[in-house]
Amino acid sequence: MKRKSLLFVVVMLVSVILGACGSNNDSATGNNGSASEPNQVKLSILAWNNESEMKPVLQGFQEKYPHITFDFQFAPPVRDYISKLQTMLLSDSATDIFMIAAENRNEIIDGGHALDLTDYPFMEVMLDSNKPMLSKDGRTYAFTQNGWVGGWFYNKALFEQAGITELPQTWDEFVEVCLKLKEAGIIPLYDNMQDLTQVHSALYGNMVLSQDPEFDDKIFAGEKTFADGWTEVFNVWKRDLIDTGILTPDMIGLTGEQVESEFALGNVAMFFSGPWVLDKLDQTPDLDYGVMGLPGFEEGQRYYVGAPGVGFAVNSKTPRQEEALLFLEYLSSEEGLQLFYEGTGLIMTAEGFEAEVHPALQQAYEEGLIEGNIYLPMVTWPRYQEALRNQFVVSTQDVAVGKISVDEAIQAIDRKFEEMENY
Amino acid sequence: MGKFMRQLQYQVFLIPILVIYTLFTIYPLIRSFTLSLTNFNGYSNNYDFIGLRNYARLFADPAIMSGISFTVLFAVATTVLVTLLAIPLALILDQKFLSKNVLRAVFFFPSIPSGLLLAFVWGFIFAPVPSGILNTILRELFGSGPQPWLSDPVLAKISTIVVAVWAVTGWHAIIYLAFLQSIPRDFYEAASIDGASRWQQIRYLTIPLLAPAMTVSILLLITNGLKVYEIPFALTNGGPGFETHTITHVIVLRGISEAQFGLASAISVVFFLIVLVIGFLQFNLMQRREERMQ
Repeated sequence: MKRKSLLFVVVMLVSVILGACGSNNDSATGNNGSASEPNQVKLSILAWNNESEMKPVLQGFQEKYPHITFDFQFAPPVRDYISKLQTMLLSDSATDIFMIAAENRNEIIDGGHALDLTDYPFMEVMLDSNKPMLSKDGRTYAFTQNGWVGGWFYNKALFEQAGITELPQTWDEFVEVCLKLKEAGIIPLYDNMQDLTQVHSALYGNMVLSQDPEFDDKIFAGEKTFADGWTEVFNVWKRDLIDTGILTPDMIGLTGEQVESEFALGNVAMFFSGPWVLDKLDQTPDLDYGVMGLPGFEEGQRYYVGAPGVGFAVNSKTPRQEEALLFLEYLSSEEGLQLFYEGTGLIMTAEGFEAEVHPALQQAYEEGLIEGNIYLPMVTWPRYQEALRNQFVVSTQDVAVGKISVDEAIQAIDRKFEEMENY
Repeated sequence: MGKFMRQLQYQVFLIPILVIYTLFTIYPLIRSFTLSLTNFNGYSNNYDFIGLRNYARLFADPAIMSGISFTVLFAVATTVLVTLLAIPLALILDQKFLSKNVLRAVFFFPSIPSGLLLAFVWGFIFAPVPSGILNTILRELFGSGPQPWLSDPVLAKISTIVVAVWAVTGWHAIIYLAFLQSIPRDFYEAASIDGASRWQQIRYLTIPLLAPAMTVSILLLITNGLKVYEIPFALTNGGPGFETHTITHVIVLRGISEAQFGLASAISVVFFLIVLVIGFLQFNLMQRREERMQ
């Protein structure tokens, strides 16, 4: 009797486990079956933009190809997106279409997760200047049709209130403007230093890249160090913004949203942002604002922060490759570009597509994005973007609170680089 | 033989949970350990065995050392403060008064929403700008200038701990309350007949009889404190610098963001050992204390 019941339990267990495996196999063959049938295909996509932003272009595609439906997934950029995609790739459950960003391109391309798109005809629509961020060794692995540029948003009424009639043309004038605002009892600039700060990036553009555009490559080739390029940038930033009290360490506790709200409320005269904030600011009544680049040491020199937009990539292991490529082709079509623009409102930078740019960003678009006076370190650095960015953030914050000197801060960055090279 | 078969029969019922435990705990643990001996980057399955190099690097990494020190500080501080606050709170909630049930619900409530949500709300209260809620209140009441609640190395640590204590005190008070209600009323009657004051009753009767509750509550506080992630993440994002980085932050930072999965695995293994030792010591000490007290 006892023996029988023991046997019964074991049999039940084994059958449950086998049953689970069996049903798994069933669903796998079911999937393959539907793929070979051209009529019903479900494309999965892990998007960087949320569903309401992607809706117009997805709907347009479905109207054209009624047999293809979408399994739409979304993860908010940047860190959440990267880690979700990483988990999916590692467990072989990644979506058919996913995004490559500056932050994950090396790992995705080196890991062979994305299909080489270089020779497909739709890639002609992609601007050549957008390609390096999504390429390796001359081969391009993702398609992007947009770019972004950001600058320093300023509140015109507050500038007027402080008696500022002209925009600063040099860095020294910029610092002067900040001090003038401060004297008038207005907080000149908010920067929460939770990212590699845009002031640092633009200063580096003005001070280093304008002399030697290849400087970053030299750092990564071992010919130069971060100390060679960034020490002066950090010194200027500390001398002119921290020591003068224009930026204060208490700003570190602010969230990006708080900074935006403070600007919209007229509590701060300037902050850095990009196209994503325009909607919110335009909805604020009586807010008159402009956007400017960060002036350099020479008159007329200005740098912005910006980059190509993240690119759509096709999973190299997907059985639905053909349909995924159809979607990319649709994205590159006139209709696809228009619908993508309508949904996302991003700045379109595709070949032959008349881009509409918000009037406030027009100057940044022309001077920055089109003329190439934009810099975002994470795009130009070929390796360890996240590790280095984290170290920059920590170094910046530590200098801001007065815990370490500029030299120590840069040494920590060079040490981090060395550490990553030896991993 | 018969006894052995009967034992075996009972043990068989443990197989399902053993399978689940093995799959979701033991296997990942072993896998973490093997990965900690490699230079796995989290994306590519081509990686090399590099021996104990990750472990050697671990103790020279300022982020990790800072993570360990803040995590330990956080765990100890929340444990002490919550215990000191939860027991008196439980004693008060155990009294008979009109709004008793409402108050119990009010104190319990902060432990229901996720820590992430609570920390975002507290982020507005602690906002370092002059228009931050707490800063506005302080200015209106005392005329003091804005305080950098989340960006000063010391204040950021204090703020994080305060939010965590606020969030869980009510929950732990309910544990104590449950044990309080199981103490027979006769004991108190006997004590008062013997002339014990209210304080003496608490000191010599209530506290010793709450010893089992303390073992449970403190074990949970310590382990949760060591594992803390979302409150510092949402409140300060680990800043300023590495000041409020916790061990779990560093594991995610090194493993996911920086693609150093092997190193992150090594941190996890060391972290596991730290929690194991602390948990084991704490549980044994507390149990011995329980026996002594009763």
